[in-house]
Amino acid sequence: MPIWNRILATVDEHDISLEAVRYLAGVLGGSDACRVRIMSVYQAPEADAHPKQEERAAAAAQRKEVLLDRLEEARQILVGARIAAYNVSTRLEEAGGRTIAETIMAAQLQGGFGTIVVGRRGVSKAEEFLFGSVSSSIVHQATDCAVWVIN
Amino acid sequence: MRDAPELLERARELTGRSLRQARLVTDTTNFMNLELGDVLEVEGRRFVLKGTEYEGRFGLDEQPKYWVKRAVDWEDGSAKILKLEFFEEFDISRGGIKVRCYRSPAKEARILAMVKGNPNFMQGVTLRDEAGNLVRVLERIHGGPLDQHLQKLECDHLEYFQRHMRGVLTKLSVALEAIGWLHNQGAHHGDIRRDHLFVDETSGAWPWIDFDYKFEFKQNPYGLDLFGLGNVLTYAVARRDITHHLVRQEYPQAVETLSNEDFSPVIKNRLMNLKKIYPYLPESLNNVLLHFSNGAAVFYERVEELMAELTPAIAELPQEEG
Repeated sequence: MPIWNRILATVDEHDISLEAVRYLAGVLGGSDACRVRIMSVYQAPEADAHPKQEERAAAAAQRKEVLLDRLEEARQILVGARIAAYNVSTRLEEAGGRTIAETIMAAQLQGGFGTIVVGRRGVSKAEEFLFGSVSSSIVHQATDCAVWVIN
Repeated sequence: MRDAPELLERARELTGRSLRQARLVTDTTNFMNLELGDVLEVEGRRFVLKGTEYEGRFGLDEQPKYWVKRAVDWEDGSAKILKLEFFEEFDISRGGIKVRCYRSPAKEARILAMVKGNPNFMQGVTLRDEAGNLVRVLERIHGGPLDQHLQKLECDHLEYFQRHMRGVLTKLSVALEAIGWLHNQGAHHGDIRRDHLFVDETSGAWPWIDFDYKFEFKQNPYGLDLFGLGNVLTYAVARRDITHHLVRQEYPQAVETLSNEDFSPVIKNRLMNLKKIYPYLPESLNNVLLHFSNGAAVFYERVEELMAELTPAIAELPQEEG
C-alpha cells in the first residue's frame, strides 16, 4: 500500500529535472513529515551502438557520472531546504531492458511511494511521437499514486 | 589478398565478363579495394563479386554502397547480396530533430538469425571472414519495393480504392504484424520505409529488408519503427505521398479545409488525413491514419495497438474483385 508522504523524485541529465526538485524543496522545505527518494535511471550503452568494449565502458562511465552528479545536486537542494538528511536518499537504478518510465514505476511499486515527482521538458509533438515522453508514460501508467508533473 | 589465376575461369563463367584477373580474398576489411571478379572465401564458401550495390531514395540520385556487393555463389551460381562489415555512426534528421544513428552489422546479423525461415523478412546467413568481419550473405529477392509494385496498378485512386486497396492492405497487414513480432523479440527494424518493403514476385511474400540501423532510445523504443509504419501505410492508402503542395495543385477545393492537425508531426508537409482529398475512405481507416497526425491525442506505441484498429478497418473496405 503506497504511503502518500513517501516521495519518489526523479532526475536525469536535463535541467528541468532539477527544477522539479527545487519545486519539491519549496513545497516541503523545513518539513520532517516526508521521506524523499531521489532516483535516476541509467541505461547502459548498447553493444550494437558501441561495438568496441573500451568505448562502451567509457560511455557507460560518463553516463553514470553525469547521473550521479545530478543525484548529489538534487540531494543538496533538498537538504539545503531544511529537509533532514536522514529523510533524503538517492539511488541510481539500471533500466535493463525496460523503458525509463517502466523502471520508475517498478521502483514506485517496490518502495511503496505514494507520490512521484517528475519534470516535463515540454517536448514537441514530433519528439513525443518518435521518442515518447517519460512524464506522459508515467501519468498513463500510474494507478495507485499521485504524480506531480513539473513544467 | 593473393593472386589465384586458377580462379579466373570460374569467375569469368559466373560473371559473364572477360576478366583479366580474379583474386582470392579472405579478409574484407578493406572493402573499398574489392573489384569485379574478386572471389571472396569465407568459412569455406566462395562468392564471385559482380559489382557494388547502389541505393536510390525516392527519386534522388543513387549512391554507391561500397560495403554491399552483388555476388554469385561459387557452387550453384545463384545471385547473392554480400553485406560486408561497416560500422558507422551519424546523425539523421527526423522532423527537424537530430537523431544519432548507428549502422550495426552485429544487429543485422542477429536479426537475420532470428528471422531465419520467416518469409516476412529478407533471408540470409552471416559468415566470418579470416579477420573476423561479419559477412552477411543475403538471398536476392525477385521483385521490387512496394512503391514500384503499387505503381504498376494502372488505375485512378477511386478505382484503386474499389478494386485493390483491400487486397493491398491485407498483404501489408502481414508485414506490419511481422514488425510487431520483431518488437516482441526485443528487436526493432530501425529503417522502415516503403522501399525497404519488397514484393517477392516468386513467393508472393512481402519481406522487409535492411535491418542494420540502430538507435538508442530512452523512452519509446519502437517509436521510430511506428513512424515508418505510419508512412508506409499512408503511402499504401494514397499510392503516393500527399503533400500540401500536391493538394494545392490537384485538390484546390480541399485546401481551405486543411489544418495543421491533418499533417504529420514529423514530416510537416505530409497529409495524413487523407479523407480530406479522398472522401470515400471509410472513417475507420482514416482514423487509423489520424493516429499518425498532429491531431492525435495519443500515438500508437505498439504495433498491436495499430493492428487492433487497422484490421476491422480493412474489413470495411470494398471486396477485391476476383
